[in-house]
Amino acid sequence: MLLSSLELALQSLKTHKMRTFLSVLGMAIGIASIIVVFSAGAGVKGLLFDQIESFGMDSIQVEIKVPSGKKGIASEQQSAISLLQGAQVTTLKLDDLEDILKLSNVEDGYGLLMTQEAVTYRNKVYRTFIWSTGDTFINIDQTKVGSGRFFSKSENRSLARVVVLGSQVKERLFGDNDPIGKTIKIRKARFKVIGVMEERGSVMTFNFDDFIYVPIRTMHKKIMGVDFLHNIILKVADMEIVDETAEKIKMVLRDNHNIAPPKEIQEGWMDTGNDDFRVMSMTEILDLWNEMSSILTLLLVAIVAISLVVGGVGVMNVMFVIVNERTPEIGLRKAVGAKYSDIMKQFLVESILITFTGGVVGTILGILISFLVFIGANQFGIDWNFVLPIKSFVVAILFSIIFGVFFGIYPARKAARLNPIEAIWRED
Amino acid sequence: MAKTTNLIEVKNLRRTFGDGVQTQALRDVSFSVKPGEFVAIMGPSGSGKSTLMHILGLLDRASGGEYKFEGKNVNSLGDNELALLRNEKIGFIFQSFNLLQRATVLKNVALPLIYSKNKSNRDARAKKVLESVGLSHRLNYFTNQISGGERQRVAIARALVNNASVIFADEPTGNLDSKSGLQIMKILNRLNTEGHTIILVTHETYTAECAQRIIQMKDGEIISDEKVEKRRGIHSKDVIK
Repeated sequence: MLLSSLELALQSLKTHKMRTFLSVLGMAIGIASIIVVFSAGAGVKGLLFDQIESFGMDSIQVEIKVPSGKKGIASEQQSAISLLQGAQVTTLKLDDLEDILKLSNVEDGYGLLMTQEAVTYRNKVYRTFIWSTGDTFINIDQTKVGSGRFFSKSENRSLARVVVLGSQVKERLFGDNDPIGKTIKIRKARFKVIGVMEERGSVMTFNFDDFIYVPIRTMHKKIMGVDFLHNIILKVADMEIVDETAEKIKMVLRDNHNIAPPKEIQEGWMDTGNDDFRVMSMTEILDLWNEMSSILTLLLVAIVAISLVVGGVGVMNVMFVIVNERTPEIGLRKAVGAKYSDIMKQFLVESILITFTGGVVGTILGILISFLVFIGANQFGIDWNFVLPIKSFVVAILFSIIFGVFFGIYPARKAARLNPIEAIWRED
Repeated sequence: MAKTTNLIEVKNLRRTFGDGVQTQALRDVSFSVKPGEFVAIMGPSGSGKSTLMHILGLLDRASGGEYKFEGKNVNSLGDNELALLRNEKIGFIFQSFNLLQRATVLKNVALPLIYSKNKSNRDARAKKVLESVGLSHRLNYFTNQISGGERQRVAIARALVNNASVIFADEPTGNLDSKSGLQIMKILNRLNTEGHTIILVTHETYTAECAQRIIQMKDGEIISDEKVEKRRGIHSKDVIK
């Protein structure tokens, strides 16, 4: 019976090629979108993973946070809003870094202050980011010096006015000329160029090539007149005890900043609202990004599913037309012995055949589009991975079958419930 | 004793249509048909003959009264049981042939076998029946490629493919020329002599005279039920009712 239904369905679909094509296309577009979203989601995840990994998985990040009376996610939200509104947190200091570096599992670390300044070389002005950091930055971060050298510990201590240029800054200010030994101005203060970084590209939201690296103490004392940091990046010796180390860092900072420890100890980066800092290990950051990209992927799949519903409604419409057209045939089939279930099966098979074909075509289309995205992204220098998660196929095929049943069941029921007498005498 | 020998037995059969203003299509119809009989049901348009055929053919249910098919009270049967009986015991021949346009002659004839318990050798069985109605040369033709008479023979073959014990023919010659009509009636006669019970609904006296018995209907009632002594034209009538 199933084979006969399949044979009949194929015959029926072949008879109305254009109608079948359009119904299949509607489903195929929806399914292809799902495949593309899943693939893109996996591609973005891979890209993020690579970028986060480039910071070093054996590191802990300390960043400033606006204290809040709230806890958990509400505290994080309030802090983010306050920072966006221009709130300044100036409590994270180089002394904090010194104290943290005394912890046994902390191997090395550097402080960070990021500002945006207009820099000039002769008559050229270029607005760029100033990455004020310690001399240890070059040992911990993956950024490499292309030519010249990075500043030394003594230069940082002695407030030397030296800078290392990102490759893009060098291009903008010096073109093909060698900048080593030349002088640029930041806020009217003269700085000697001692090195140029290798091209690194964008990591997360930072374009490392568009930075000027300045000794943090020079920036604090000679240019800005401040003494705070935005971030501290730390390299840990033993990743097995990274969580304990993070807790110890929190204790040091609370002690330094006179913050009372929370009554209940909460594990993980999301801590009590009283803290004016946030301590996260790179694995936590990775988990966070993973979670965020998964939520984003799901959200996109939900949006894309709307197009599937539209395709499904199209299939339902076509099924109603088919039932209407074939009413006398249904009557005849019932007259020669077809049961309710036989007619149901016949029309459900036809509906599923449309959506399943749409699913298969959509999957192939989705793979092709994802591959084109991969090629396109790599052409633009983005290290995009071509990933096709198995779950995208499972979702695509399941969706196509479920939609076939869902959108086919009502027309099929209408057909199966037809009175054979009324059906058989209805005009074609 | 007589009850068990009847293939069809109806008592006070009634059929009403409509929810508000009701139309009585059948009023207390009672008669019986024995296996192997050839019965013609005649009457003017609206007399209830088609309604009666639909109920007898298990395509419709009566509003009241009793209907026994092969001794079984069909009123108590479910839709699936009725479908099974239609598939195994009953064959239909309609005025407008009611063939599947998208299917070949062979597939049209094999259609009831799709729903049959015995699905084996469907095409072979369909071929055999098509041979018996002289259409073995048209197996792979589509129904729009053959003549009206041939289409009706396909319909007859379809009615016979499951070896139906009773064939209901609703105006089988109504859409045919006289030559083709005569051919169809000859086949029905032959099937009757082979043991099939034939119930023919017609308004043509000439066609009805092929039967052994003519039931005349008017306004939903049987007004006469006559035995035809000499079939097809020259006959004497034995009034039963």
